[in-house]
Amino acid sequence: MSDDVIEARDIVKRYGDFVAVDRVSLTVPRGTIFGLLGPNGAGKSTTIRMLLRVMLPDEGSIRVLGGDVSTLNVDRIGYLPEERGLYKKMKVGDLLTFFAEIKGVARAEARKRALSWLERMGLADRAARPVEELSKGMQQKVQFIATVIHEPELLILDEPFSGLDPVNANVLKDIMLDFHRRGHTVVFSTHMMEQVEKLCEHICLINKGRVVLSGTLAAVKKQYGHNGVSVRFAGDGAFLKTLPEVASFQDNGNELFLRLHDGAQPARVLDAARGRVEILRFEIAEPSVHDIFIERVSESS
Amino acid sequence: MKVQHIIRREYLENVRRKSFMVSTLLVPVIMAAFFVLPVVFALFVPDRQYRVAVVDQVGGVGSEIAAALVDTLKSGERKYAVESIDAPGERFDAEREARIAAVQRGDVDIAVAIPATVLSDGKAEYVTRETRNFNIFERFTYVVSDVVVARRLAAEGFDFTRVKALTEPVKMEMSRVSATGEVEEKNFLAEYGLVFVFVMILYMATLSWGITISRSVIEEKSSRVIEVLLSSLTPRDLMLGKLVGVGLAGMTQLSIWAVVGLAMSGYAATSSIAMLTSFEIPPAVFAYLMAYFLLGFALYSALFMTVGAACSTEQDAQQFQGLITLPMIVPLMTLMLLIQNPGSGLAVVLSMIPLFAPMMMLARIILLEPPLWQIALSMALLLVAIYFSITFAARIFRVGILIYGKRPNLRELIHWYKLAK
Repeated sequence: MSDDVIEARDIVKRYGDFVAVDRVSLTVPRGTIFGLLGPNGAGKSTTIRMLLRVMLPDEGSIRVLGGDVSTLNVDRIGYLPEERGLYKKMKVGDLLTFFAEIKGVARAEARKRALSWLERMGLADRAARPVEELSKGMQQKVQFIATVIHEPELLILDEPFSGLDPVNANVLKDIMLDFHRRGHTVVFSTHMMEQVEKLCEHICLINKGRVVLSGTLAAVKKQYGHNGVSVRFAGDGAFLKTLPEVASFQDNGNELFLRLHDGAQPARVLDAARGRVEILRFEIAEPSVHDIFIERVSESS
Repeated sequence: MKVQHIIRREYLENVRRKSFMVSTLLVPVIMAAFFVLPVVFALFVPDRQYRVAVVDQVGGVGSEIAAALVDTLKSGERKYAVESIDAPGERFDAEREARIAAVQRGDVDIAVAIPATVLSDGKAEYVTRETRNFNIFERFTYVVSDVVVARRLAAEGFDFTRVKALTEPVKMEMSRVSATGEVEEKNFLAEYGLVFVFVMILYMATLSWGITISRSVIEEKSSRVIEVLLSSLTPRDLMLGKLVGVGLAGMTQLSIWAVVGLAMSGYAATSSIAMLTSFEIPPAVFAYLMAYFLLGFALYSALFMTVGAACSTEQDAQQFQGLITLPMIVPLMTLMLLIQNPGSGLAVVLSMIPLFAPMMMLARIILLEPPLWQIALSMALLLVAIYFSITFAARIFRVGILIYGKRPNLRELIHWYKLAK
């Protein structure tokens, strides 16, 4: 069996004249946490829908969990769509049982799992209540359960953290890490970079329907971050941006991130700064994914 | 097979709905009321004596009327206590006004004023506080007419009893001969009533379950549950599951109604009340009702589901739903014509056209037992139409279900249809 759970080759999706996804290729190795990054409208959701067979690509090939689109391996995937929603009138327990059943879990087992998950989320007393009576936060938890109740090998989450309060964001992160530890694969899309930094092993950056960057997080950082400094200072530090060593910069207000030319010495920057501004912190830094993201997206635009 | 889970969910969620229970209980009650109430009202008129004043300008007519009103109450007393007032010439107007005033006061229930001119122009007066009791009015009309006519005949030298016997009209008894050759007497008014009730039930059931399925698709679309569903099963499974699940819920409701209907009809048949026995409904009619509901539902619901898939909000969907409802209204509008002539060529043709067939054929079955080949042909044509409507719906469904935003126009629909090869 292949070690890659997702192999997408040159997939294309057009809406009329608009090309939403333009020859995207993706490889997701088994057991990783994979981040699909990109600004809004980059084509992340469309790509994910094609991986899930909710939509068919106009061109290209997709293999998921070793099967092509015609084989029935959807039961081994858990999917959390970007926009959330549940059957409002259904009772929570019935709803979860139903979602497990359409993923091939037998009825009795589905019921058992639903109750144990509700227990775990502190919602055991809500099993017989209709979904619409739950608070928004509780509904989000129910939605997480619905996504994972069939113990999928592959979790695909579209913007999972958007709209979550910090408590639920943590709950979700724990579920993702738990699945990861048990050897399952997690793919999620986001435009929130802190999550990527904390969670991802692999990333793929999409902009305007095209892949602009992909690889392991470490490799990407190495490629982009071997030469950079982050300076926190008091005083007028505008001159720092124009030093000969500086290739590009990013002004974060109280902090300035300077990307240096290859071979330039960070110490020269420190020397230049000393005396003209009061240095509060000076750090040789790899750029954050956020910086890489901004840089690559503005380059490719 | 994943389709079973969709069927199960659709069925249970629909059957457990409060509105389902309410309508399931309410319709038989309304049906019963429709048939039983008129009978009840007719049977339970208050059993009391009426005080009658007859003001007679002709002379002698009043006492003849009193003699003719021999009706008795259950207690054996006379139903009408008649006071006859002879009021020849000038006195008539004063007496008449006095009696009307008595009616007004409540001292007298009915005042009848018979002027001398009645013999030539045939006009008399009947005054009462409550005009609703039509039966009593009929009775008086009949009695007063007889007395006046007898007077006229006597004036020409004829014997009233003899003339009445000779001019007795012929009583025609209407009955129909069924396919199996048995001749049955029928109360035709009751039969028309049955046709209306059955056709209306079929219409309402098809329409309301069609809209239910349309709404359920919109709900899945707007809550985005649809994405999770489509990542778990094929659009085909989803569509069929909904059709079967909602269809079964509809059948459940109809079965309950049919059982209640059969029970009521059985009771009516054995009832000692003559008016009720004509409401006996052959059990086969219920079977046809179910069969044509199933076929009509499949045909229309596929279209209603397409509407749900193509629209993002209920408001958008309503216009399209209205469009689908149009062909359902045609049978309702032509029903009166069909009832008068259920065997005509036009009726046969209309009952073959799949969009009209369920209601039209059901009406014809109740009215005249059409030849079996016609029923079979209408069903066969319906099946063909269902095949096309589901195929069409499936293609629109697959594309439309993931498209959000403004209501699509016809050109876009055609485009979607072509997209889904």
